[in-house]
Amino acid sequence: MIEHKSWIPVALSTALEPGTSAGTLVGGGELVVWRDTRGAAHVWEDRCPHRGMRMSFGFVRGDHIACLYHGWQYDTAGQCQYIPAHPTLDVPKTIKVPTYTAAEKGGIIWAAPSSEAAEAAIPVEDGEVVPVRSIYIDRPFAAVLAALTNANIPAFTGDTAPRFETIADGIVIVSTGADRLLIACQPFNPTRTALHLVIQGSAETYGGAGQKHFARWAETFRLLLETASTPVAEVA
Amino acid sequence: MEEASFTFLGRLEPESFLEFARHRARRLDIALTIGACSAAAIELSVAGDEVLVDAFEMACSLGPYDCIILDVVRTGH
Repeated sequence: MIEHKSWIPVALSTALEPGTSAGTLVGGGELVVWRDTRGAAHVWEDRCPHRGMRMSFGFVRGDHIACLYHGWQYDTAGQCQYIPAHPTLDVPKTIKVPTYTAAEKGGIIWAAPSSEAAEAAIPVEDGEVVPVRSIYIDRPFAAVLAALTNANIPAFTGDTAPRFETIADGIVIVSTGADRLLIACQPFNPTRTALHLVIQGSAETYGGAGQKHFARWAETFRLLLETASTPVAEVA
Repeated sequence: MEEASFTFLGRLEPESFLEFARHRARRLDIALTIGACSAAAIELSVAGDEVLVDAFEMACSLGPYDCIILDVVRTGH
């Protein structure tokens, strides 16, 4: 199990349709993020206890997810409830996928990789949001954060210079012009960082052109970081 | 409830094999008693649901990466 003291953003809410699953990493640990057909999001270790197949390759059926390999079905608590090869077996409680507390707030799916994190509040506000995109940058978490808080992010509306407010480790609110952009950073693995971008505003104002504006900036930011310098490890 | 005894024969690293067996027994909710152990043979007694005892046998017949299981002798009670 991954241990982390605060909530970690793992996906944009709009990126995960009901009845689907996706794999991701936090600190190099493999996680599955899946949404049941009633709409609830779940974050688990991405590994079936049977043969180690990634659960993110599995099938969501109602409020169960089934492993692609042998069809073992798990309920929303991670408990195996059904083994197709042994349909009459009363599956023991010991066959269970390790789970993380998951929640959605501010347009993002969050995972709490420890009980300490789960007891804390998710450090973003509720309110109307417009998703932009998730972007994956081949640079370490600390390097991305350092660059982010000095970035030149042009406003979509208004023209004042950007101001940065770090509301938690890796969670930054950018106020630029009349816009407010939430950038939630996910420590993907030691060399890669994911950024989840959400505009805090109305779809009427930002839908379409506003989303493209900040998506383009994110791509430019990634290009800038990935081409600015070559890490020593890659040279070696 | 099925009770069975197994002797796993082969080229074994006893500590590694027993750690592997304990882990599988916990996962399959099987009671495990360890008998005589050597680099050539390890004796285990188990009790649990019949299909899970079969699954335990299958898992241990593969063993951890540093053990080679050449034969399994199973005795039911």
